[in-house]
Amino acid sequence: MPSDLATCLPLLIAAAAALGLAVVMSPARISRTALLARGGTGLAGMVAIAGAPSLDLLVLALLVLAVLHASLPGKRDFSSRLQMPVVAVVLIVLALVFARVQGPELLQRLAAVGIAAGLAACVGLLPYIHVLEPEDMVAVSPTVWIGFVGPVAATAILVRARGLLSLDAGTDLGAMLVGLGLVNMLWGTLAAWRAESSTRAWHYSFMADWGLALCGFGLTVADGQAAALLILVSIVFGRLPLYLASRQALRENQSADRPINLMVAAVLAGSAPFAGFAARVLLLRGATQMSWPLALVLAAGMLLWLPVSLRLGRTLGQPRGRQALGVGIVIAANAVVGLYPLPLLTLASR
Amino acid sequence: MIAAVAAFLGWLGVSIIVLADGRRGLAVGLAVATTGLAAIAWQEGDGVAALIVMGGGAAAAVLRYRAGPGGWVVMPPGSTPRLILCVAGGLVALWFAASVTIGPDGATRFAVLSVVGLSGARIVSSREPSSVVTAVATLALAAAVATRLGAGSPGLVPYVAAALIAAGALLLPVRVADAF
Repeated sequence: MPSDLATCLPLLIAAAAALGLAVVMSPARISRTALLARGGTGLAGMVAIAGAPSLDLLVLALLVLAVLHASLPGKRDFSSRLQMPVVAVVLIVLALVFARVQGPELLQRLAAVGIAAGLAACVGLLPYIHVLEPEDMVAVSPTVWIGFVGPVAATAILVRARGLLSLDAGTDLGAMLVGLGLVNMLWGTLAAWRAESSTRAWHYSFMADWGLALCGFGLTVADGQAAALLILVSIVFGRLPLYLASRQALRENQSADRPINLMVAAVLAGSAPFAGFAARVLLLRGATQMSWPLALVLAAGMLLWLPVSLRLGRTLGQPRGRQALGVGIVIAANAVVGLYPLPLLTLASR
Repeated sequence: MIAAVAAFLGWLGVSIIVLADGRRGLAVGLAVATTGLAAIAWQEGDGVAALIVMGGGAAAAVLRYRAGPGGWVVMPPGSTPRLILCVAGGLVALWFAASVTIGPDGATRFAVLSVVGLSGARIVSSREPSSVVTAVATLALAAAVATRLGAGSPGLVPYVAAALIAAGALLLPVRVADAF
């Protein structure tokens, strides 16, 4: 098994589980077969991205997924939905050219800029935020990039980019990722807190989590990488299914303050004993090894998750039946990963 | 000399795609860009890769010729910014390929940079699905040819994948936005 595929394996498993849960939780008015077909296509694309033997093929797989996703019927037209993923493809191809041609050292640094910018454009992070149409179905919305395909694509891109860039350019890439991460973390939490639409608040909360993940990727220590992986797993099999579970309550404008809502808020905030907590501890430990002021900024930023998560937890309403079961499974799985993260990390580092 | 002509064809083809809105103009642009990219692969000694690029691009061009907005519609009124983009994009790519970077494969660098940059600009700036899909086909073929710049041999897989994307994208039924 290629090591790059192994790195993405926990994310692929989490994505497959999230897809299964989404199919089970989906309300009757949504065709489960269509959801399974679309999600299955996305999952196949993610396997192709993770298993691609080179960054060139990865980019082509990304282009295929982008075109297929943009061609799904939705409120926004084909061209506008294709824009940001294509920007990502163009930036990464240009980065590959810069990294491979002979010339001044500056070209390697430009390649690092291209990789960081392409990654942000692919996922939909600042400064390339994808336009969200709140009325769109999740399968055709930018949530697919930020919560389902993005984690695998970003991990695979960064794993491959390491072998492509020089040592100095790799260090620059790490610094850029930390910078992008901090900006997205602050922007995401503040925007999620202040946004009028709860659907937009959910979308911004994905950005905030991604900020932490980028900081983890940017830290060139094992703890940082492990933290990034755990955060991405908690996005794919935590935030994403909880967002799906809240869609009906969001449409009906319901909110509730029951114990289940507080539990969900705890999962979203990364409280102990859930997966987000283990990730935050690893991230702070990694940041302390690199630079303690960075750890201080991260710790202060993490406090911003609390009001956001309480707000988002309420938007879940009162889940019943299949949705309550799904939410219970997500909470339990996040608790298990938070308490025993080692098997997941071992799987990724094989 | 052949490499320089091939690189020029690549830039010319993608420029026609940027400047045209009709299916005939887009198809000709795609065919010209494909010829340039295939000639670059051929000139570097990979005949099979060149044939694959040519096959995928030609199939895409034929499909574009058969469907899309009618006519040529090359440089419709208001297309001066697009013309400036093509010229400026070509000059920047030429400066980068010939002056900033060193070593062989200058023609490949110019073709890849101009085709990737201009097709990306076309996709980002256009709302018409037929021109966007045509630019996607060109972008895929250029991304495959860009693998030649790497140290090792890329093999045929990127070319086959790009040819399938180029032809497949044109076959995809693209829907417009749902009405509110």
